[in-house]
Amino acid sequence: MNPDTLKYTEDHEWIVEQRGLYVVGITEYAVDELGEITFVELPEVGRRLERGEDAAVLESVKAASDVLCPVTGVVAEVNDILEMEPDLINRDTYGKGWILKLKDVNVEEYEELMDSRSYRGYLKTVE
Amino acid sequence: MQQTPLFEQYAKHNARVVDFHGWALPLQFAGIIEEHKQVRTEAGIFDCSHMGEFLFTGADAMAALDRLVIGSMTSLAVGKCRYTALLHEDGGILDDGVALRLSEEELLLVTNAGALDSVAALFQQKVPGAKNLSADLAKIDIQGPLAPRILSEFGFECVRSLTFWSGAQLYRKGLDLIITRAGYTGEWGYEIFVPNEGAADLWQELAAHPSVKPCGLGARDTLRMEMGYPLSGQDLTADRTALEAGLDRFIAWDTDFLGKARMEAQRDSGDYQVLTLLKSADKRAPRHGFELVYNGETAGVVTSGTFGPSVNCGIGLGYVPRALAQPGVMLEAGPRKLPVQIETPPFYKESTGRNRIEAHHLQP
Repeated sequence: MNPDTLKYTEDHEWIVEQRGLYVVGITEYAVDELGEITFVELPEVGRRLERGEDAAVLESVKAASDVLCPVTGVVAEVNDILEMEPDLINRDTYGKGWILKLKDVNVEEYEELMDSRSYRGYLKTVE
Repeated sequence: MQQTPLFEQYAKHNARVVDFHGWALPLQFAGIIEEHKQVRTEAGIFDCSHMGEFLFTGADAMAALDRLVIGSMTSLAVGKCRYTALLHEDGGILDDGVALRLSEEELLLVTNAGALDSVAALFQQKVPGAKNLSADLAKIDIQGPLAPRILSEFGFECVRSLTFWSGAQLYRKGLDLIITRAGYTGEWGYEIFVPNEGAADLWQELAAHPSVKPCGLGARDTLRMEMGYPLSGQDLTADRTALEAGLDRFIAWDTDFLGKARMEAQRDSGDYQVLTLLKSADKRAPRHGFELVYNGETAGVVTSGTFGPSVNCGIGLGYVPRALAQPGVMLEAGPRKLPVQIETPPFYKESTGRNRIEAHHLQP
């Protein structure tokens, strides 16, 4: 996926609409902060998640961290390969390292998220 | 942030530098897991120049030191190392360290960066003849099963005779060095104390060896945790005594030392918490600060935790009541109630640190 076309949260998740579903992952910045990811806990398919709710847990050598749901929606699909190969996120966070896909999302919330340019500006304020 | 004499070397190996007790040190180079496995299988080098080194000269200085550390330094044989700790007056841990008896007259004590100012002040006040060498000495640790062979190749003849936890002084390339067969990774390895001006050359020499890779604080932490070794400032803190930290076997009960009274009271009552090893059934790890729960009640706290790359599961250290500290006891850790089991040390049982020297260890 092209990082320029994604939407972003202040908690360093990315999300993008693709064929009717909304794919969610974490940004390169989050991956750098976490380091080598060793364990991924994924949500149940069919579960409804509110914006900001814990959607997944990532554990790295250094720390454990929650992935927060960028928008309200229902879990349509999870990337269960991550359970066997959690470091796919380290290797390809904007591609094979996606975490979950949402359906029935709140589109208004989606539209409110930062685009890549605003996110890059935001990163300058946190670094 | 302070920089060690090796700071300029980090960038050559693509380091990620962090603030560690006011020092700019490499967290990682190639990656924590890769560096960890490098040390378990071949060899890695660590910059430990931020650590403290103190030299004690003469019988009076050593006797004064004995009144500040939990063990006996006067009884330490020449050429041998001994682990010890310094306490606050109230019995809480100030720092831990490793002593090397250089000669009848001289003893080197290696301490940590976190409490260096307090430790230096304590020695200055209480030990006539203590000399703080921390600013002048760099320290490079080479750790891993190939370390003896590699140092042999570089002409360190002393590795032929250095047994586990012993040390020596040597002269090499115009520099006076001190070397110990020690480290904090569990693997066969050496700590090399080198004057600042010679540190970069020695680092580059070692780093150029095909079986050596530079390693950072991250791997150092996962390696020591797999051995169940506590870390000063993290597991060993001012609110814990050496008895609670499980350092019983390093305590010389027959000597008088600062902070002893509280431990005697704890020993006599038998009522205290102890530092134990905690193992997760999967890759989720207990983490620093996680509450430990036993049968629905708060039982203790996790002080260190990580994923252990060589044991392939989550591991940690934490304090629990002594009565509960039995191998096999199950606890829940943290907000997600991660099940952890109390284990006997070490987690990683195949380490090479104590191996006897045989000819094939030294041959290329």
